[in-house]
Amino acid sequence: MNQASISPSKFSSRFKSFFRGNLGGWIVILAMVLLPFITSLISGQSISNLLANESGMAKFVQGLAIEIFILALYALSYDLILGVTGLLSFGHAMFFAVGAYLTGILLKSFGWSLWATLGMVLVAAIIQAILFAVVLPRVQGVTFALVTLGIASVFYIVIQSHEMSAYAGADVGLQGVVAPEFINAADHRMRFYFVTLGLLIGMYLLYKRFVNSPTGRVCIAIRENEKRALMLGYNTFYFKLIALTLASITAALAGCLHALFQPIVSPHTASMGFTIAALLMTLIGGVGTLSGALVGAAIYRLLEYGLKNIFGEQATFLLGVVYVLIVLFLPYGIIGTWKLRALQIRSGWQRLIGLVTGKPKQA
Amino acid sequence: MTSFVLYLRKNRTLLITASVLLLLLLLAIQGMETQDWVVTVLRSLSVAAVTFLVASGFSLIFGLLDVLNLAQGTLFMIGAYVAWTVYIRPDTFIDILTPFCFLIAGFTLLPLWDFLASRLTGKKILVRLWPWVGLLLAGFVLLFALRAYPITIWNPGVYSQSPGTYSLFADTGTRLIPPAETFGDGSAVLVLGGILLGSFLLAFSLAGLQNNRNAARVRKSLRLPWAYSVAFLAVFLVGLLVHLFNTPLTTAIVGLGSTWLFFIAILVALLTGVLLGSLIESTLIRPLYSRPIYQLMITLGLSAVGIELVRAIWGRPEFTMPKPEIFNGAGVNCPATTLAGVFQDHCSTILFMDSRIRVYNEIFIPLVGLIVLIGIWLLLQRTRIGMIIRAGVQDREMVEALGINVRRVFTFVFALGVGMATLGGALAGPSMGISTAMGESLLLNALIALAIGGLTSFPGAAVGSLLVGLMQQFIIKYGQIGIQLPFLAEPFKPTPPLVPASTVLLMVIILLVMPRGLLGRKE
Repeated sequence: MNQASISPSKFSSRFKSFFRGNLGGWIVILAMVLLPFITSLISGQSISNLLANESGMAKFVQGLAIEIFILALYALSYDLILGVTGLLSFGHAMFFAVGAYLTGILLKSFGWSLWATLGMVLVAAIIQAILFAVVLPRVQGVTFALVTLGIASVFYIVIQSHEMSAYAGADVGLQGVVAPEFINAADHRMRFYFVTLGLLIGMYLLYKRFVNSPTGRVCIAIRENEKRALMLGYNTFYFKLIALTLASITAALAGCLHALFQPIVSPHTASMGFTIAALLMTLIGGVGTLSGALVGAAIYRLLEYGLKNIFGEQATFLLGVVYVLIVLFLPYGIIGTWKLRALQIRSGWQRLIGLVTGKPKQA
Repeated sequence: MTSFVLYLRKNRTLLITASVLLLLLLLAIQGMETQDWVVTVLRSLSVAAVTFLVASGFSLIFGLLDVLNLAQGTLFMIGAYVAWTVYIRPDTFIDILTPFCFLIAGFTLLPLWDFLASRLTGKKILVRLWPWVGLLLAGFVLLFALRAYPITIWNPGVYSQSPGTYSLFADTGTRLIPPAETFGDGSAVLVLGGILLGSFLLAFSLAGLQNNRNAARVRKSLRLPWAYSVAFLAVFLVGLLVHLFNTPLTTAIVGLGSTWLFFIAILVALLTGVLLGSLIESTLIRPLYSRPIYQLMITLGLSAVGIELVRAIWGRPEFTMPKPEIFNGAGVNCPATTLAGVFQDHCSTILFMDSRIRVYNEIFIPLVGLIVLIGIWLLLQRTRIGMIIRAGVQDREMVEALGINVRRVFTFVFALGVGMATLGGALAGPSMGISTAMGESLLLNALIALAIGGLTSFPGAAVGSLLVGLMQQFIIKYGQIGIQLPFLAEPFKPTPPLVPASTVLLMVIILLVMPRGLLGRKE
């Protein structure tokens, strides 16, 4: 189609439909942008006070939101591998931890600039994706999960070893990452908040585009039936490699942000438990829905925070119970169930509106 | 002759891999003195036996049910904790028996509840609602009744009553038993009746739920097979008798001595595993057979819940489980030089070629592993249920089509697999030490062993466990004495982190060469 031939009116109508089609998304983005201001209003903090990075309710909420955004990036990348491409990987925490540790070590021990570090993280992410992909043509299904688990646990062991303690801090973790001044989360919380939010939105849109692109469609085909995709003449290995690389880059970026935000990187981020967290987040939201990963991350972090606040030590136990209950009773996750039920819910709404306004709508 | 050549050609990769592994082993043996490698091989047998106990259950479950039971490591740990409780604190064990028996009692009368639930008809909403109300009520009753029942337990927060302290005392030979708790307020009859009532209510409501789900059909007559009523009576009587003769029973069981207690502990751990396994399979795994990936997630969730539960009850610190007398003697003739000496003085170690071999770790555990291996092998090869299991591993649908109730076999296999894991935990308690992290490393070991041996292959689990054990122990030994590598002046000493890393590396290499593992089935 020729771009120039689109008349202004047609363009605006397209824009309108685009706007209307994603109304929910726009509202969420708007709410997220306004979140610091709203919380400051609620807690009675003045806007200038907020902009000057005074500590308070608003700053705390921003911190929590930043953690959620980072987790959402991480869960999003896992959803691309598991939900879209159908690869069950148990080594996903390694993707995250490599980004986090590399950022910390390069900034702290080597004094690199942020941009050089980012470039290095990117390179490392691509390398580790290729490392994971090396085993792909040989092993499938559960065996792939085991091999990735193996690779990730070697990384976990290495990062905790005493030989690396000068850089990685053994089992205490990497402490005191020196974030560059202009993006220091303690001094410029608001800036960090919007950087993370922007990155998350950008990544989400990129992922949406990826899934709807021909490449992404082939990835879905691999999930549904790899043999058939092969039969149709697609070299599935390359498509899996692309998905793995994209996921690895995203997760490493999330790890990088994590290291910058919390000046501490604990070895927990490389452990099996952190992979399970990714699984949990995608599961809560709905596997393969992308937006589910974001919702899942938010619920996971808020639930963890709330339960820890109320029950203290027993929070992990309760989280596990919640997890089991979700698996048993909400098999498609929140977004997945919502999508399945969307039609019923919409008609229910219309009936309700009809009842209120006295104008029953014909089905 | 031709068939032999054909066999060689068919299994070329396997034979090459096996010979490379053998060569590596020979090289490893060459690098150290005879006594060193004998001890190392014995130690690796010990590790292999414990790994095998977890891995074989895992492989059976995965082979037949297609469930990757990642809770196996946690169940292993629970086995160790249960064995510790029975072994160090038999009084607690006796105390728990009564409420446990009374809780079970309600479920032995399931046909009766089924019948009653099917006769309960009325408004649809009431029929749908009453089981939930019943569950709630049962929860309340049990909450109060179980709380009021006195169980002498430890307190992880207080040093003098922490599990670690009890272990220490047991290690020195004096078994510290705190004074038994008594009923504070409320009579015994009321509390016991409450537990029984709660159990009845629970079983009744669950039967009602089940009835609602399976489109309730009204049963005309009650058929209560006599076995059920006998089971009910037996469980009830055991519970009551244990309650009545609590104190004499405790003194009697403490008086048995640590050897008997230890074997009782192992048995109880095994039974706990079997019970837990059948419970998990029938309630949590069974609804999810149509959604395979969710089973995996539920086992993950279970393992997290299990670890937290253990932390809440036994506390976070690690503690040890002393070895029983029969493996811990220190007579005049110890360390023994012959096997006869072991039986006479119950020596803890044997002197073999100037190096000490621990009887429990390096002889008893591999022996149990071997017995279990042979036992399961016989079960699989010689019995009808074993035949069904083997057939099910090959083609589940076909077995179902032949009219065999595979679901019941599923429960059996799951219970068996979990039972073996808890047995492994109980055995590993004295040798590994007890901590909440012990399951994690063992699960990794077992997974590696399985991947090496072929996921669904039972002999593969044994071979894989053996390889993992050998690899780990030889690396540890070389970490002590150093290894002379070609281009290095100083001997290279592998550091402790290399131990798990080496097994993982072995797994990755073997999987890259043979994606189905050494003995895995070809598709």
